[in-house]
Amino acid sequence: MHHAYIDKFAYQDSPVHRLDARVKFIITVVFTAIVISLPRTSVSILFCYAIGPFAVLVLGGIPPRFAFKHILLVSPFVVVLALTGPLYDRTATIVVFGPWSWQTTLGWLRCWSILGKFVLTMLALIALVSTTRFADLLAGLHRLGVPRLLVIQLGFLYRYIFLLIDSAQHILRARAARSVGRVCFRDGFKFTAAMLGSLFVRSVDSAGRINSAMQARGFEGKWRTINRLTIRRPDYIFAAVSLCFTLGLYLFVRPVLG
Amino acid sequence: MPNAIKIERFSYKYPDGTIALRDITLNIESGRRVALIGPNGAGKSTLLLAMAGFVRGEGKVIIDGLEITNANLKQVRSRIGCCLENPEDQLFMPTLFDDVAFGPLNMGLKSDEVKQRVEQALDKVGLAQMAQRAPHHLSAGQKRAAAIATVLSMSPKIITLDEPDGSLDPRNRANLVKLLADLSQTLVIASCNMNFAATVADTAVVMDAGRIIAAGPAEQIMPDSGLMLGHGLEVPSKYAPGRPGTV
Repeated sequence: MHHAYIDKFAYQDSPVHRLDARVKFIITVVFTAIVISLPRTSVSILFCYAIGPFAVLVLGGIPPRFAFKHILLVSPFVVVLALTGPLYDRTATIVVFGPWSWQTTLGWLRCWSILGKFVLTMLALIALVSTTRFADLLAGLHRLGVPRLLVIQLGFLYRYIFLLIDSAQHILRARAARSVGRVCFRDGFKFTAAMLGSLFVRSVDSAGRINSAMQARGFEGKWRTINRLTIRRPDYIFAAVSLCFTLGLYLFVRPVLG
Repeated sequence: MPNAIKIERFSYKYPDGTIALRDITLNIESGRRVALIGPNGAGKSTLLLAMAGFVRGEGKVIIDGLEITNANLKQVRSRIGCCLENPEDQLFMPTLFDDVAFGPLNMGLKSDEVKQRVEQALDKVGLAQMAQRAPHHLSAGQKRAAAIATVLSMSPKIITLDEPDGSLDPRNRANLVKLLADLSQTLVIASCNMNFAATVADTAVVMDAGRIIAAGPAEQIMPDSGLMLGHGLEVPSKYAPGRPGTV
């Protein structure tokens, strides 16, 4: 089974890939927090912020098409939320962008702001997971003080989510192979419920076997790993440049652009 | 030769009352390569679980001189390594390196020694270049080899493998045969593939309905068509001249 793995580029080698996972994670969090905290009327500054994640994607050799494909996959909910803005806030306003200006409503500004922030934060997130091996990210999270239990859960989620998707696809295929004609809503609902039940039972069985595999290798409840993370000079340089860029735009460029 | 595994009158029932193993008595000498053969539902997998202390019933299971008790499970499991039927269950860490290091780390070994053992184990199964790969990026044959590496890194004296040839193509199966042939440990291999079992094992144990029907040298047990066919098995092509067959 072939999956469009979100981390399919994480195993490449580039200067960005070689950076420490902790540094990339912290920079992503800071970037996301600042972009989200921008006022809803600050739309033009978002174009400047886009330079950051794009630079990481380009340096890491990640095709922008791959990033936008994944953004599209998760966009429906945010698009619906953003489109509610123009419906209830019709206060007229004038937007000025360099030498250009035009009239619009605050609702549309809010809509573009939500969409812009969504795209930027998703780009940052995709840049992070596409340039960092998940195992390093987990090790980094642990070193940053994230509770061990949560890190372990994330590790299992990453390891087994693809198998769960495989199982679901096999069930759907088996159903399609035996379905002739249209299936009514009630039957479709019954099938979905049965599929979820089957997946749940399989997951529980699998969890039991994994637990046996862990115990067979001496696991007694204490999770041990080898530390493989080290912060080096390029990490400090990346952190300094990224923070200057993110905070500099917020403190000096945003007041000018509005 | 001393016994690697000694089982005395061991019986086990599933929680629903179904009898899985009946009065099993079996001695396996150190260094032997034993094929546990039998039809589906014969109790092969349950017997392997009993050898690692996952299934506890009536009777004794003695591994490398240690009778399995709750108190010595950790010691027992450092002497016997189990490869489960599905390598997806065996490979649960985000990278292959972490998976192979999991056992040695739980044994309390120092980081340097753990790294050395991981490198040796991965080298042995031909996956040295894949250490930082996520298990879901490996092929079926590589997953099987990786599962064996996870137990090799613990340097057990005995290795049990449950249907290790399952879902492998001929090339990967041939690689697995070569890998198993290179191992010096006592091997107990449960399999429904008679050709595979005949190739890797020097001793055969026939099971059916939770009982041991016959045990002895593979070249005596496996050519016996009456015995094999009578228990839903077949004579491997190795012992049936003129019949085509692959491992």
